[in-house]
Amino acid sequence: MRLLRRCALALRTALAVLVLLGGSVAAREDDSPDARLARLLEEARDAADTAACSSPDTDRLVRIFCAGHIRVGIREYYPLFATRVGNVRDGYEVDVAQALAKKLGVDVEFLRVNAASRIPLLAEDRIDLIIATMGHNTQRDTQVRFIRPHYYRSETIVVGPKPLAITGWDDIPGRTVCVTIGNGSNADLVAHDARLLLFDEAGVLPDRLLDGTCTLAAQDDSFFADAFTEPGFAARFDTKFGFAQVPWGMAVAREHSDRLATALDLISQIFHRDGVFLEIARKHHIATGFLQEQRKLWSSPTCNTATGFTNRACLLPAFDAELEPTPFAGAVTDFEDWFSALTGVELSLPMLKTMPAWSLFLSGIANTLVLIAGALSGTLLFALLIGLALSSTHRLPRWLARGLVVVLQSSPIVLTLVVASAVTHALLPYSAATALGAAIVALGLVNGSNAGQAIGEAMASLRAEEAASGRHVDQLFVRAVGRAATQIVAFLINAAKGTPIASFIGAPELLSALTDITSFSSGRATTYTLLLVFYTLVVIVVVALCRRLQVALEGRQVPAR
Amino acid sequence: MISFDQIVSSFLPSLLEGMAVNFEIAGIAIALGLALGLILALARLRGGAGGAVAASAITLMRAAPTFVVMFFLLNALPRGAAVSGVMAVALSLLPYSAAFVADSGVDALRHVRAGSMLGALLFLPNVMRAFFVLVMSSSAGAAIGVGEGIAAILHEAERLSSLDDRLILFAIGVAAFGVPLQFGFALLRFVQKWLGIHLTRNRQEAT
Repeated sequence: MRLLRRCALALRTALAVLVLLGGSVAAREDDSPDARLARLLEEARDAADTAACSSPDTDRLVRIFCAGHIRVGIREYYPLFATRVGNVRDGYEVDVAQALAKKLGVDVEFLRVNAASRIPLLAEDRIDLIIATMGHNTQRDTQVRFIRPHYYRSETIVVGPKPLAITGWDDIPGRTVCVTIGNGSNADLVAHDARLLLFDEAGVLPDRLLDGTCTLAAQDDSFFADAFTEPGFAARFDTKFGFAQVPWGMAVAREHSDRLATALDLISQIFHRDGVFLEIARKHHIATGFLQEQRKLWSSPTCNTATGFTNRACLLPAFDAELEPTPFAGAVTDFEDWFSALTGVELSLPMLKTMPAWSLFLSGIANTLVLIAGALSGTLLFALLIGLALSSTHRLPRWLARGLVVVLQSSPIVLTLVVASAVTHALLPYSAATALGAAIVALGLVNGSNAGQAIGEAMASLRAEEAASGRHVDQLFVRAVGRAATQIVAFLINAAKGTPIASFIGAPELLSALTDITSFSSGRATTYTLLLVFYTLVVIVVVALCRRLQVALEGRQVPAR
Repeated sequence: MISFDQIVSSFLPSLLEGMAVNFEIAGIAIALGLALGLILALARLRGGAGGAVAASAITLMRAAPTFVVMFFLLNALPRGAAVSGVMAVALSLLPYSAAFVADSGVDALRHVRAGSMLGALLFLPNVMRAFFVLVMSSSAGAAIGVGEGIAAILHEAERLSSLDDRLILFAIGVAAFGVPLQFGFALLRFVQKWLGIHLTRNRQEAT
């Protein structure tokens, strides 16, 4: 009997343990993303059987089940990611969309989108989901609901010829990098003193690298992935380094999409854990480093839960694309609106709206004024020195000066600037000040040599006229300068007009600053119109000042007796 | 060290090809400049409101920096009116060439009115001088990716690591531009001298 009682107790205990263990296993299954997804989909399917299908307030997941298909906005020409030839679609994103639809148990209907149309189409309820190479940034967070975890991550890469030794930001200052207008990562290049050569479309960059127009080009790695599949391109170029990593997110509408978003979050989480994204990426030969990291992360107990997609420790933050606004950005926007309403002309003043642009703009104006003052002083100084050497009674300085004048007159200004810049940077490390200094010397030499030649010719004519007068040479030189005043003033004006070309060697004057600003913001038309007006006015002021100088110089010219 | 073979087989052909683009740009700019400049010259000589407008336009065109005009044309024009790189450089040189032709044209037309055809003919060497200035100025196209002579030099220079090699390359570039330029100026001087002799002889015969 006692034994029987003990057996019964043991049995009860064993049953209790089994119940407890069973409960724990069930609880673990409930906490898995798979179980939560299954429950969510079941609820939505049930709801789709009722009259909810016709209600506009119904969650989009239910409506997808009602329709039996999901409408996916996708690109049609983004090689390796989403392309379309006839009715055949191919690429990483195409396969991801199909895998998602399969998981939901519905068909997929593809609709063409591009960078400009994808968010509006979602807002207008013409598509249910965007899978279209869209970077997840803080600005877009206010417009759409991004699916987390992200299905891909890109970065901007700098591509150049294989023999070119560039390993990081230290090698970038002073170099020209080809970029596309409006690319957010341009601001990083500008901040590292790169000179930007702007293009409207990314599609031309590989060709411009191949034909030598660009030595370096910066663009999204997902874009260059296709170029590197070309053996000819891959043999000549490689990736130097990468920066500005941006996670790519699928996105749904912010309204009436809670269930759909949660279902896609869970599917995305499962796809990472099970290596579905990774497998599709391998199939399409795109970079897989990020997806491998993510697979590891989402397989970990911390993240592989029903709420993993809300766990900050498991998620990547959105790329912060917001630029700090100026204190008067609001007033500038009001002015733009008022001007547009008044005249019908679209006005955009990006240089006044964000702190980085405002800072570039101010330093651009200051550097332009320094450059103009320096170029004018340099022209005058070199004109006097070369004029003096050409007027010398000794052969050596005369011949040296003549040789210099011939060389400078034979060299296009851009080439002279490049030579001055190369020599300067061989002696001193690159900086804005050295670039300005090199530009001042080059502009001064080019214009000063021509003005100096005029002084030399004036001197020769005065000598011929006054051979019998017995005057001292120093007086003659002063009068020669007066006689050559018109030519000197002409080349001073030319020097002022030539200052914008200093941007070619990275001198941070206004043209350079505004090119940088427009590379990461809008308003190109207004910006370049204002720039043209600014420089034309500056030259007109310089002309007026130079005319005064001309009068003063000509006043020193005593008529020859 | 840059090799002779590299210069002859690779660099020089691309440089000459690029320089042809410089001459092409200068040709377009001078042709357009002649058309616009002569209209402005005629308007200026006629006087009145049209003359004042022409004079103001010439002043503004003289003050407009070529490099900024080029970026303006590339960036500020509406998409429908977009121009190619070569055309953008040529059009950016138009204010200079038109203002120059207008000034020289006014002088030439005054000579014609005064009955001095030979004096008016000095217009031709002046246009030739402007053409050579335009060839040199067209190198600004390198900044917007136009494949002209300077772009060819810079492209080759990017591949060289030593400053000495680069300076050799730049010297070849200066010589390549300098030879036709100096030849052109010598020709210019000859034409001017020839015209001067004929002008003097004409005057002597008249008196």
